[in-house]
Amino acid sequence: MTSYAVLRRRLRARAAGVTAALAALVLALFVVTLSVGSYRVPLDDVVVSVLHLGENPAVDFVVNGLRMPTALAAVFAGLALGLAGTIFQQLLGNPLASPDFVGVSEGAGLAAVAGLTVFHVSGAPISLLAFGGAMTSAALIYLLAWKDGITGYRFILIGIGVSAFFVALTGWVVARSEDWEARSAMTWLTGSVGQAGHGEIRALVVTVLLAIPAAVVLRRQLGVLALGDDAARALGARLELARLVLLGLAILLVAVATAAVGPVMFVALVAGPIAARLLGPAPGLLAAGLAGAVVMLTADLIAQHLLPASLPTGVVTGAVGAPYLVWLLATSNRKS
Amino acid sequence: MTSQLEAVGLTLGYDDRDVVRDLDVTIPPGKVTMIVGANACGKSTLLRGLARLLKPRGGSVLLDGRSVHEQRSRDVARVLGLLPQTPVAPDGITVGDLVGRGRYPHQGWFRRWNAEDDAAVDRALAATGTADLIDRPLSELSGGQRQRVWVAMALAQETDLLLLDEPTTYLDLHHQVELLDLLTDLNRDSGRTIVVVLHDLNLACRYADHLIAMKAGRIVVEGAPADVVTAEVITEVFGLRCEVVPDPVSGTPMILPRGRHHADLAEKCT
Repeated sequence: MTSYAVLRRRLRARAAGVTAALAALVLALFVVTLSVGSYRVPLDDVVVSVLHLGENPAVDFVVNGLRMPTALAAVFAGLALGLAGTIFQQLLGNPLASPDFVGVSEGAGLAAVAGLTVFHVSGAPISLLAFGGAMTSAALIYLLAWKDGITGYRFILIGIGVSAFFVALTGWVVARSEDWEARSAMTWLTGSVGQAGHGEIRALVVTVLLAIPAAVVLRRQLGVLALGDDAARALGARLELARLVLLGLAILLVAVATAAVGPVMFVALVAGPIAARLLGPAPGLLAAGLAGAVVMLTADLIAQHLLPASLPTGVVTGAVGAPYLVWLLATSNRKS
Repeated sequence: MTSQLEAVGLTLGYDDRDVVRDLDVTIPPGKVTMIVGANACGKSTLLRGLARLLKPRGGSVLLDGRSVHEQRSRDVARVLGLLPQTPVAPDGITVGDLVGRGRYPHQGWFRRWNAEDDAAVDRALAATGTADLIDRPLSELSGGQRQRVWVAMALAQETDLLLLDEPTTYLDLHHQVELLDLLTDLNRDSGRTIVVVLHDLNLACRYADHLIAMKAGRIVVEGAPADVVTAEVITEVFGLRCEVVPDPVSGTPMILPRGRHHADLAEKCT
């Protein structure tokens, strides 16, 4: 018979091990991303160049100038989506409760596409529009779902409704635009880590670096909120405040990630379950974030280098993520 | 150090409907109190109100003389625990993880997990006989085991007062009795005040030190079951004709309902 202290130490050691392994994998994929391409840079030269250990203008230009933005965008957008996805899933107690499906990304998509095709702007303003769209739709869902508080079920259903509304509007905006505008709109809507500008990446990195400690601190609250409203309140949690802060944090992360790389689907959906596979239920938030980064880096490597033509990241995450979603729906239906 | 819980002029409700009206009650400290009544009589609402899960529309709930709504939620949660009727078990959660979450109110931003928390979880598991399930997923357990694990979580909170909302609802008779025995042990061993909303009248009469019978948001009678349970009271509370006889096992009142059928002997007697 195990005492709780022994069990807790065992689980903590496992969590630390898995998290470290995921971090090492992210680092490895990051270095590979900087290395491969039409001009292949040996791995040791990549390390030398990133750490400024030597001078080689050609390598420095390719690694730090050309590839670094993409690699950074992949790592931090992956972290942001992984963290946000697992917060949503644990908070709302539903593996389907991913911010991709409850209208947040779709709000960002509508605003960005309107920017591209109606207001004819590009670059940073599009990111600002996407960020605003994500936050606006999140606020809209929150207000519509409010009824003496927020329940997970209502939030998801209303989110799906709002999402459908935004998708329809986006379709309308795309349909009435010129061909070339529609093309750039569809590319943006697929989402790609290559499209991130420097300003967006900086905002993304800063937000994620601030959000990680916040998420780690809030994990205890998340743990009791997941037991249902009555149990959480009985345990002394400040329910509405904790839920608002956690949802707000997750939505902020999705908004900055979407602003930088577009709505790359399914990363937020799969990151938490991958971490749960490795760590058991209710995995650490950092582990889930790192799993998101692994997915994003891998998807980008496949999209850029393993397929005959270079594709946006979102094509790969969609192709892998959609079957997973179908499987999730099929099995969860069977259980109940 | 047993805490005192009372309601004064308490009115509770949902939406535009008052469910509990202007109710006064004092929970006897160190005793097992059972709240009974027909469906929708407000018994669960009263329990949730006492545990400050519902904001009163009128009156107040006093814990040791001070309104629960004016105390910090975490401070209340160290004295007053509640096991809801249908708590949510996160997918795949293990017994140890779940029971450990009961320590939430004993921690804070600066007070992290320590040996006392470990010991409290072990005590809760031992008291409920679930220690050897510690690393099993909750979903793999039987209904009776699962309910004991939820009680263990509430116990890990280490509160003087423990409120339980229909804890036996999904259990078969064997496990109902087992759970009520466990609650009696918890009361006798540590002097905890226990308040249970219970459907089964006969079990409530057997296990309660203090019985509260409610109808339409009001208390009809309260007191020791032997003193307050009569056929007239049960008829008034449940709208059901019945006989009350001594329980051959415990000597407490036992209610025999009289339906429209199968009442031949009773008809002959009266």
